[in-house]
Amino acid sequence: MEDKKFIRPCTLIYFLLLGLTVTTWFIGTQGLSGLQISLLVLGFALIKGQLIGDYFMGLKQVSGFWRWPVTLWLILVGSLVTYAFMISI
Amino acid sequence: MKYESQKVAKLYFVAAIGLFVGQILFGLVMGLQYIVGDFLFPEIPFNVARMVHTNLLIVWLLFGFMGAAYYLVPEEAETELFAPWLAKLMFWIFLAAGAATILGYLLVPYATLAELTMNDLLPTMGREFLEQPTITKLGIVVVALAFLFNIGMTILKGRKTVVNLVLLMGLTGLAVFFLFSFYNPVNVVMDKYYWWWVVHLWVEGVWELILGSILAFILIKTTGVDREVIEKWLYIIVAMTLITGIIGTGHHYYWIGTPAFWQWWGSIFSAMEPIPFFMMTVYAFNMVNKRRRNHPNKAAVLWALGTAVMAFLGAGVWGFLHTLAPVNYYTHGTQITAAHGHMAFYGAYVMIVLAMISYSMPMMRGREACNSARAQSMEMWSFWLMTISIIFITLFLTGAGILQVYLQRFSDNPMPFMVVQEKITLFYWLREIAGLVFLLGLVLYIASFFVGKNEPEATVELAK
Amino acid sequence: MCIIRLIQFWTCENRETIMEKNNWPPGDLVIWFFILAELLVFGVFFAAYAFTRANNVELFNEYQLHLDRNAALINTVALITSSYFVVRAVAAIRDDNSKGCFHWLLAALFMGVVFLVVKGMEYHHHFSLGINLSTNTFYMFYLSLTFFHFLHVILGMIILLAVALKARSGGYSAAEHTGVETGASYWHMVDLVWMILFPLVYVMR
Repeated sequence: MEDKKFIRPCTLIYFLLLGLTVTTWFIGTQGLSGLQISLLVLGFALIKGQLIGDYFMGLKQVSGFWRWPVTLWLILVGSLVTYAFMISI
Repeated sequence: MKYESQKVAKLYFVAAIGLFVGQILFGLVMGLQYIVGDFLFPEIPFNVARMVHTNLLIVWLLFGFMGAAYYLVPEEAETELFAPWLAKLMFWIFLAAGAATILGYLLVPYATLAELTMNDLLPTMGREFLEQPTITKLGIVVVALAFLFNIGMTILKGRKTVVNLVLLMGLTGLAVFFLFSFYNPVNVVMDKYYWWWVVHLWVEGVWELILGSILAFILIKTTGVDREVIEKWLYIIVAMTLITGIIGTGHHYYWIGTPAFWQWWGSIFSAMEPIPFFMMTVYAFNMVNKRRRNHPNKAAVLWALGTAVMAFLGAGVWGFLHTLAPVNYYTHGTQITAAHGHMAFYGAYVMIVLAMISYSMPMMRGREACNSARAQSMEMWSFWLMTISIIFITLFLTGAGILQVYLQRFSDNPMPFMVVQEKITLFYWLREIAGLVFLLGLVLYIASFFVGKNEPEATVELAK
Repeated sequence: MCIIRLIQFWTCENRETIMEKNNWPPGDLVIWFFILAELLVFGVFFAAYAFTRANNVELFNEYQLHLDRNAALINTVALITSSYFVVRAVAAIRDDNSKGCFHWLLAALFMGVVFLVVKGMEYHHHFSLGINLSTNTFYMFYLSLTFFHFLHVILGMIILLAVALKARSGGYSAAEHTGVETGASYWHMVDLVWMILFPLVYVMR
C-alpha cells in the first residue's frame, strides 16, 4: 500500500458488487415476481457487469474499439432479456 | 526443404492429385445423372458414382494430409523422418487398398463385394461414406497406426513445436474417431449416433486441427512472421474449434430419436462453428499483411489465403445457413446440404492440401523456393477457375435447394420428390457447366507442373 | 445510478495517476478475441433461455423455486471475491511483487474451488432426485447453462494455476506480466457471465 490510500478503488467496487449481489439474493429469497422486480434485478446485474468490465478487467483505462465490447454485450443481452420478459407477461 | 526424407511426401501428393482427377470425373458423371437419370446405366449407376465420388474425395484428402505431415513434421522437428521406408511401404499399401476398393465398387455389385470381402464376419459396410469393405477399413487402421508411429517418433526425437503438436493431435483424433466405423449397432438411432462420431468429428473437429496446423506452417514459412504470434492464434482457433465442433455434433441429432435437448445444444454450439473459421481468415490476412518478407512462391500464398476465405464461406456461412434446428427441419438432406458440402470441402480441405503441395512441391522437385513465373501464373489461373466455379456450383445448388425446400416441403401443396427434381433441372444444368469449368481448372493445375520447367525461378520484385 | 456515477468519478480521480489510457485491453489481444467469442456463446444461451421462458412462464416459475438460492449466493460471492483477488494479484505484479501475486492467485483459486464444491453439491442434489436434461425445458436450460459455465470455471482455474506457478518461480515482473493480465481477463469474463446467469436463472421470475 505504497499509495497513501485507506482503501483501493477496486476494493470499493468489490464491496459494491457484494452489496448488489446480496440485494439480488434477498429479492430472490422473498420469491418476489413481476416485470418490475425482474427488470430491477436485471438492472443490478448489468451494473455489476459494467463494474467488472470497467474496474476488474480494466477496460475503463482503454480507449478505442476495445473500450466497448463488454458494454455492448451487456446492452445487447440486457435488451434481449428485457424484451423476452416483457412479452412473457 | 531441409531434410532428404521429406521427399516421401511427393509420392503422396502425386497420388492425391491423381485421385482428385478421378473424383471430379465421377462428380461430372453424377451431375449429369441428376439430369439424365439413366446416363451410363447400368455400367455406373448413380449410387455407385456417388460412392466413388465421395470415397475418392476422402481418400485423396487423406493422402494429402499424410503427404503434408511427412513434409511438415521433419522440418518442424528439425530432424529426418523416423522411418522413410515405412512411409513408402504404407503409401503402396494404402494406394493398393484404395484402388482395389474403388475397382470393387465399379466392377461388382455392392452386395457381391460385401460377400467377397466376408462382411458377415464383422459387418461394417452399407453406411454412407463408410462403404469400404471391412478389410479395407482394417487396412486404413494399419496404415494410420504406422503413419502415426512414424510421425510420432519423429516428433519425439526432434524439436517439439506447437504446429507439430496440433497436427499430431488432429491426426491422432482422425485415427481414433475412425475406429467408430467398426461399431455398427443394430439399433438405427445408435447407428447414426456413432456414425456421426466419424463423419462430423472428422470434418468439423479433428480435421480442422490439421487444417489449422498446415496453414500455420505455410504462414510461418511464407510470411516470416514470428512463430510465437502464429502459435498464439493457433491455440485460440483450436480451442474454439473443439468447444464448438464437439458439442456442435448435436446439429445432427435433431430428429433421429435422440433426446430433445440436442436441438438446443446442436443449434447454439454449431451456430458458433463459423467463429474459428472467421478467426482463421482474420489471422491469415493479418499475418500476410505483417509479413517480414515477400515469398517468391505467390501461388502458395494465394492458396493459403484462399483456403482461409473459402473455408469461412463454405464451412462457416453455408454451414450456418441450415444449422439451426427450426431451419434444418425444412432443409434437411436437400440440395442445401450438397451446396454446403461442396464449398466446405473445397474451401477447408482441398485448398489446404493444394496450398501445401504448391508450397512444397517445387522444392521437392529440385527448385530453391518456387516454380518459374510462368508455371505460377498458370497455377494461379487454375486457382481462380476452380475457386470461382466451386462458388457457382454452390450458388446453383443453393438455388436448387431453396426451390426444392419450398416446392417439396414448405408450400401449401407440397409436391413429390421426383416432380420437384424435374422442376429444378435448370439449376442442375448450370451446376454441370460450372463443374466442367472446374475440370478445366484442374487440367490447368496439372499442366502447371509441366510448363516452364527450364525457366528460372520467379523472384520477388524489389520495388517494395 | 447517481451513486455509481459518483463512485466512478471518485475512483477515476484516483486511478488516473496510476495508469494512463491505452488502446489495447490488458493481457494478450488474442485472449480478447476468445473472450468475445465466449461472450457471444453465453449471450445466445441467455437469450434462448429468456425467449423459451416467455413461452413457458408457468413451468419456469414453478421449477425455479426448486433451485437453491443460498448456494447461488455463496457461489456469486465466491466468484466476485475470486475476481477481486485476481485484481489484487495483477496489482501486486505491477509492483514487482511476485510473491504477493502468487498468494493472491492462490486465494483466487481457493475461491474457485469453493464455487466448484458448492455447485457440485447442487448437482448432486439434482441428480439424486433423478433430474436430467430431459426432465423438462427449465432443467434442460438450467443444467446446460450452469454446466457450460462450470466447465469455464475449470478452464479458468487451469489458466490461473499455470499463471500462479509461473509467478511463484519469478516468471513475471513489473515490466513484463502480460501472462498474468491474460489469465486475469479470462477469469473476469467467467465472473462477468455468472453475474447475468445468477439473477436470470435463480431470481428473475
